[in-house]
Order: sequence, then structure tokens, then C-alpha cells
Amino acid sequence: MTTDHRPHYDELLPAYALGALDAGELAELEGHLSAGCPECELQLATWRQTAEGLADSVTPVVVSELTRARVLAAARRSARRRLPGLGVAAALLLLAGAIGLIVSLERRIDRLGAEQARLVERLAVANDRLAAAESEVAQARRALGVVASADVRSVTLAGLPPAPGSSGRAWLDPSSGRAVFYAHGLPSLPSSRTYQLWVITGGRPLSAGVFAVDSRGDASLEVGPVAAGEKIEAWAVTVEPAGGQPQPTGEMVLKG
Amino acid sequence: MNRAEERDLWCMGRMAAGDDVAFAELFDRHSSVVLGVLARMVGDRAEAEEVLQDTFLQVWRQAGRFVPERGSPRSWLLMLARSRAIDRLRSREARRRREETAWREAGSGAGEDAAHGASRLEADERSSRVRHELACLPSEQRAAIELAFFEGLTHSAIAERLDAPLGTIKSRLSLGMSKLRRALTS
Repeated sequence: MTTDHRPHYDELLPAYALGALDAGELAELEGHLSAGCPECELQLATWRQTAEGLADSVTPVVVSELTRARVLAAARRSARRRLPGLGVAAALLLLAGAIGLIVSLERRIDRLGAEQARLVERLAVANDRLAAAESEVAQARRALGVVASADVRSVTLAGLPPAPGSSGRAWLDPSSGRAVFYAHGLPSLPSSRTYQLWVITGGRPLSAGVFAVDSRGDASLEVGPVAAGEKIEAWAVTVEPAGGQPQPTGEMVLKG
Repeated sequence: MNRAEERDLWCMGRMAAGDDVAFAELFDRHSSVVLGVLARMVGDRAEAEEVLQDTFLQVWRQAGRFVPERGSPRSWLLMLARSRAIDRLRSREARRRREETAWREAGSGAGEDAAHGASRLEADERSSRVRHELACLPSEQRAAIELAFFEGLTHSAIAERLDAPLGTIKSRLSLGMSKLRRALTS
């Protein structure tokens, strides 16, 4: 956009350089100047120089030492603050932000630590359950192994008067001597007593283990190799003191 | 551009980078002249020194914004100083404590500039030249110019002060400035 330079503006320039233009003419000239007028800029430079020359018509006044010291000290103070990047306020804000971040991170670490402890606990519980399940599976396999053996023999035990509603079944694998025994309907015993299983071979009773019944009166018992090779003549269950006895002492409840 | 202006431009550049030693140099070179003008304008030494402080600190803070095309550092300084002084004058409208006579007497003997050797000579020469040219102006032209420069009055305010028509004042100002320009820029 080219400006219309007119002599009218030339006339305003000297007063403008002195700061003597009234509001109306000032606005007019400044509008013209802001649009960019090289002619005016050129003229204005010398008018300004002239106006400035008036400063030299005054006798200089030496500044008092106090004022000089104040000014230079104020500048020196703000010079130290002229560091690239941060002012004090900005640095403090950043510091506050960093502290806030650290606090929140520490909280997170605590939470994560607590979570980790819980997870470790749950893992231990799960491991225990797994071990128990594996043990049950192994036990069931062994029982099946007995029952599925080629020469498996099964013996039914009948309940005797002390436990009339009860019964038992023994599955024996003669070649390995391993057996599995199931009891049904036996009454629970006080803690001072236990059921004990016997096998009778050669007329003598051999302990095949102790067991307790569950709430329904059922029990199962794995019997390790017992009297392998020898003929088992009979099976019996007696009530014995807790921990069992080397020979039967209590009343017989099952026999077969 | 004379040597002093070159030096001033160098100082401005250094000041923009935070160099307070360059600022001290600029201060020492120009503070006396500025204080002289300010004292003449506001009439009170303490107040003049206040305005001086504010002006120089503004120049220090805004050194990075100085644009050489708009004029020399010295004229920027003077413009800022005068601007502040005019604000003060306008805010105490009624009273004008112009101890003009007292200043002229006080200044005559103690005109030692704190500036550096070479530019002191330049300042003295320039100073006597300006005073001479001003003295050569018709008094009504000089009066109009001085009222504009030292009291920050606009055309209409000068017209009111001197009880003269506006058009007359405008032409007195214009003629006086033209004469000064011819004399001072030749």
C-alpha cells in the first residue's frame, strides 16, 4: 500500500519531533507514519536531531553520587537475574511441580508394594491348593491302580453290633500287596479314640493303618504293601486309643 | 554518525545482553545532560533525579527493544526522560515551580560533565552552538520552542499560555525549528 505523502505532513513533522502536536493532528500524522512513509521517516530523523539539540542548550547537571550508585546497583541486581531461561518465580514453580510429582510417585510405590504383598500371599494360597489337588489326584490314581489291577480282590466288611449300620470294602492287588479300603456309616469318635484297620494273615492281626470318618461317617484309607504274597484271611476294623495300637485291644466294628 | 553515537549503539547491544558495565558507561556519558533537561523541566532537583533514575532503569530493562532506525540511543533517552517529566508536569497542573533563574545561576560554574574526555569536548562545542543558535532566534519563536520542549506543551496549550492565536503559534514553532535545523545540521 503506498501512502500519499503530502506537504501537509511535512508541516506537522517539526512539532511532532517536539511533542507539540495536539491530539487531532497527532492521530492524523501517526496514522500516516504507521502506514509507512519513507519521505516522512527521512525528514523526521533530522527534525528529531534538531529537537534533541535543544537538550544541549541546557547546562548539564552532575548527578549526585547517591543517585548514580542507586541506578547502577539496581541495574546490577537485575543483571544477575538475567540468566538464560528461568526467572526465580518460574524456577520455584518447577520445583513445586517436581516435589508434587515425587510425592505422588512415592504414594504409587507404596500402593504397588501393598499390592505386591497381597499377590504374593494369593500365590502362596494358590500353590497350597495346587499341592493339595495334586496330592488328591495322585491318591485317586493309586486307588484306581489298585482297583484296575488284573488280579484285584475285593472283600466286603459287615458292621458289627457296636456299629450296626456301617459297612466296609477293601480292594486288594495281591501282586503288589497294595490295597484301598472304604468305610461307610461309622460313627464319629472322640478325639481320644481312632479306628484301626487290621489284616489277618497266618492267624495274626497286622495293622493296616488308622483312619477317621468324615461327617457322613465315610472314610478311605490307602494301605501300603501289606502281607505281599501271603494270603490275607480276613479284614477287621477296631476302635483303639488315639494313635493306634500294635495289636487290637478295642471292640471290633467291621469284619470281613 | 559520530563516534559517541557509535559507542552508544555498542553499549545498547551490550546492555541487551545484561552487561551492566556498558550501562554504567552509557549512564556516565549522558546522565548530566538528561538531568539538566529534567531539572529545567520539573524544576525540582530531587524530583528530577527520580525521573532520571526511572528513565535510565527503563532504558536498561528495554535495551533489547531499541531499534537504531528510530533514532540514536541519546535521543531515545531524552525522549523517554521528557515523556516522564511531561507526565509529572501535567499531573501537577496548577503549580509550575520553575526556578529557572536559580538553575541558570547554579549551572554556570559547575558545568563539568562526567563524560569521557573526547565526547566532553564534543558536548561543549555542541552546547555552545545550540545556545548561540537559540539566542539568534526571534524571541517569540524561541519561547514557543522552549515551551514545547521543556514544558511539554502542545500547540493549543502554548497558544493559551502566550495568549496568541493557534495559527500564529504553529507558524512560530515551525519557523523556529526550520532555522535551528539549518543551523544545527549543516
